[in-house]
Amino acid sequence: MLITLVRRELLDNLMTFRFAAAVFITLLLVVANTAVLIKDYERRLEAYNTALKTHQQQLRERKTYSGGLLEIARPPNPLSIFNVGLDKQLGDETWIYHSYVPTLWDARMLGTTNPLLNLFSSIDIVFIFEVVLSLMALIFAYDAIAGERERGTLRLVLTHPVSRGQILLAKYISAMICLLVPLLMSLLLALILLTTSTTISLSTSDFLRIGGIIFSSVAYLSVFYFIGMLISAVTRRTGTALMLSMFVWGFSVLVYPNVIVAAIAPPYTSQARMVSTFDQIKQIWDELDRERKQFLANDAVPGEDPSFGMVKSGFAYEYFYEDSSVLYYHYGAGAHVEELNEESEPSVPHAQDYYRFLVPRSVDTAEQTWLVQRPALEAIFVQPAIVDRILLRFSPVGMYDAATQAWAGTDLHGLRDFFEAARKYRRTVIDYYYDKNAFRAREWFSADKGAVDWDSLPQFSFQRSDVRIHAERALPDMLLLLMMNLLLFMVILLVFTKSEV
Amino acid sequence: MIWHITKRELYDNLNSLRFALTTVLLLGLMLTNAVSHLREHPKRIQKYNEAVIKSLDGLASHTDDSLYMLAQQGPGMLYKKPSPLYFCAEGGEHLLPDVVEGGSPFGYSDNLRGVWKLKYPDANINMKRVGPDVTKADWAFVIGYVLSLIALLFTFDAVSSERESGTLRLMLANSVPRHTVLIGKFLGALISVSIPFTLAVLLNLVLISTSSVVHLDTEAWGRLGIIFFTAFLYTCLFLALGLLISTRVQRSAVSLVILLLVWVTFVVFMPSTLASIASEFSPSISSEPRWKRHNEIQDELWTKYDKWLWTNRTEKETLTAKSEFFTKDAEAEERLNREGLTEKVAQVQYARAITRVSPATLLQHLLESFAGTGFERHLQFVENTQRYARQLREFVADTDKSDPESLHIIGVREGMTKKKILPETVPKFEDTLDFNKDFNTRAMELLLLALFVIVLLSGAYLAFVRAEV
Repeated sequence: MLITLVRRELLDNLMTFRFAAAVFITLLLVVANTAVLIKDYERRLEAYNTALKTHQQQLRERKTYSGGLLEIARPPNPLSIFNVGLDKQLGDETWIYHSYVPTLWDARMLGTTNPLLNLFSSIDIVFIFEVVLSLMALIFAYDAIAGERERGTLRLVLTHPVSRGQILLAKYISAMICLLVPLLMSLLLALILLTTSTTISLSTSDFLRIGGIIFSSVAYLSVFYFIGMLISAVTRRTGTALMLSMFVWGFSVLVYPNVIVAAIAPPYTSQARMVSTFDQIKQIWDELDRERKQFLANDAVPGEDPSFGMVKSGFAYEYFYEDSSVLYYHYGAGAHVEELNEESEPSVPHAQDYYRFLVPRSVDTAEQTWLVQRPALEAIFVQPAIVDRILLRFSPVGMYDAATQAWAGTDLHGLRDFFEAARKYRRTVIDYYYDKNAFRAREWFSADKGAVDWDSLPQFSFQRSDVRIHAERALPDMLLLLMMNLLLFMVILLVFTKSEV
Repeated sequence: MIWHITKRELYDNLNSLRFALTTVLLLGLMLTNAVSHLREHPKRIQKYNEAVIKSLDGLASHTDDSLYMLAQQGPGMLYKKPSPLYFCAEGGEHLLPDVVEGGSPFGYSDNLRGVWKLKYPDANINMKRVGPDVTKADWAFVIGYVLSLIALLFTFDAVSSERESGTLRLMLANSVPRHTVLIGKFLGALISVSIPFTLAVLLNLVLISTSSVVHLDTEAWGRLGIIFFTAFLYTCLFLALGLLISTRVQRSAVSLVILLLVWVTFVVFMPSTLASIASEFSPSISSEPRWKRHNEIQDELWTKYDKWLWTNRTEKETLTAKSEFFTKDAEAEERLNREGLTEKVAQVQYARAITRVSPATLLQHLLESFAGTGFERHLQFVENTQRYARQLREFVADTDKSDPESLHIIGVREGMTKKKILPETVPKFEDTLDFNKDFNTRAMELLLLALFVIVLLSGAYLAFVRAEV
């Protein structure tokens, strides 16, 4: 019986104008936007590759341990085509230095040749589904019950020995099949476009994550279908059902996500926390500075010049870097001496002593700073973002967006993975220095007796986390979506069985 | 007779569910808009004022020192004044730079320092914000998205439902010309949409204008008037579209499906999709050739003036050479900065021109311009700073000329007047908005919008006249 009902509904739905229109619009939008998004991805990948080359070049030019830069970059995420999330919004290039712990907030942005173009919001595939498919789901659902009631066919169907639950199920299954057609077709086209592009290579795990995105899309679609069905079950007339559906759609898809963050109190700016933490960090570094000055005052070389007046050619540097808006503060000192002054050969052991003292202390100080900095940054920047996200979750759009971002790895977690990896790499590099006894080596500051050999330095490579971790991150929102489905279905069942025909 | 039909439509609409929902929705949105504006705007104003005071202090201290210091250090940071009508259209203001830098003379060595030039900072991408990026509860959003959708919901069944229920035949059996019916229906829908919208706007404006933190002057009210008018024109466009489709299609459900698809395509997707197509396929800008040219020019200048630069002699020839070197170097750099900006702006202009196919973008552009925010406003601000830069340079030259003892060699201490200058006489930068200019540049788009309305209305008329009942 269920099969008969499904077949009847399916034929009803497939031959309609709204079905053709749904397929056409979704395909058109997805294909047009995917082409643009792939192009954008390729451009970002190119910028990334150029950056990698520059970093290699920098490493080759770096002849002492302390002179020059060691930079790393985050590759663009190919799944940002599905949901761009924060992938293009946050910094993707940072540097590794012994007295500095890289954070998300002081990274740089790679390769935007014209930042003014950011004025135009970009559209990803998930956004298209968010808007078009939810609309489609409601258009399919609004007359599911009210329409049959008006035409009187509902009464006819119910004279047969079928339960009301079966009718609902049949309607649901057939409508979902119809809605899956544009969804899957457009995704298929997008995937074909993706695989024809030579620069994008998708791994098995990527495909699994795309599967996760598809699953979330289906759950999202079904939520909207159920909402439409509920409206259809409670209203007497199709006209009213349609009107109500459209207002619900406009509110939950357009209005709510855009307005709620502005309506609720703004992210609290904890200026006091910022100032006090920054003072604390400054004190930590002042302590190091004091010790350093004391060391210099007590050693045998007069004066407080950390380059010990050795540089004939090359450079020496010493700086305090600070940016109170992101709690960024550190001291750096080092040199790249190509040629030594003739008379300063006796200073070299002193310099070695000095750096053997200074560098491990700066490493420790940087880590101490990080312990203070981390919770403050969490409280100031991450907490308000989490509150915003929670507010958005009151609309299915928010859940869907969060779930697909987690699958794609473009959510905050996914981006923080990179900085986690960067911090780990910093440790690796420092361990490497220890192994090489670099802090006490002449090569720490001077290349006059031969340059540092960087071949054995461990390379940085960023692996996105496992599918399982992505699934774990997407799980709460997926569960929310599924629970909403279940809840809505139960309510509809209740309303429909109680209602008069 | 028109009035009769209008009245009938109006009564129908006022009692309907959609009218109630519209009223609640619009009131809620406008209330949110006013509240968040009243919360955010004082902060913006305060930030601007503090920045301006700091920059003026710098200017005053240079003026205090000497005319030479003024000629060397320049005006400092020049800030964009936040518009009081920010709540009408945000216009991507948070992405646009709000400052032009007029300072930072290049120090070649301790006693050899060039003169100031204008520098245009890049758009500021806020990399600190890790939250979801969805806050645009401005009028442009309310009108562009919500009001247009509502207009469609009011007209999608205007003709088709009457046809379905048979009342259309009844009405046309009377001796009423068809265009009267159509106009009556149009007016009825327009009035029923305008009532909740006007109410919401009034609520919004009452809240904003009675609060002490935001000051709206006469010009601002004029601008608001035009914005209101534009909103009407835009609503008319969607009402006409609804009527047209409703007349052409037999069933109201089909009519709504078509309208929604058209709406989603033109309002939600078209602006961003076209803009990203335009910007993705435009060539990427590289600053390298510009820097190369800059270096070439500098090399040329160095070889030409090198023999004078490193001496401390004060005879006229050396001073003139130094002055020429400084001015030419600064001029060259300023020109290159400007070219870089122009190149970037041209790309954006191109993308913006293409997106104008969508009426939603037209509205967005119009509202931005009249609210004094957004991209065009940014260009006006840049132009203002350039004009001010010329003015300040002229002032320095003129002041120097008025002192007969001076050698009139700008940019070197020995060549300029030693007289004190009065701080009041130094021109100060005041960022202004020109209403006439805004209106003139936007008149074209306003006409285009009106044209859309006329075309759609006549389309609806033709369809209705030929429609079978």
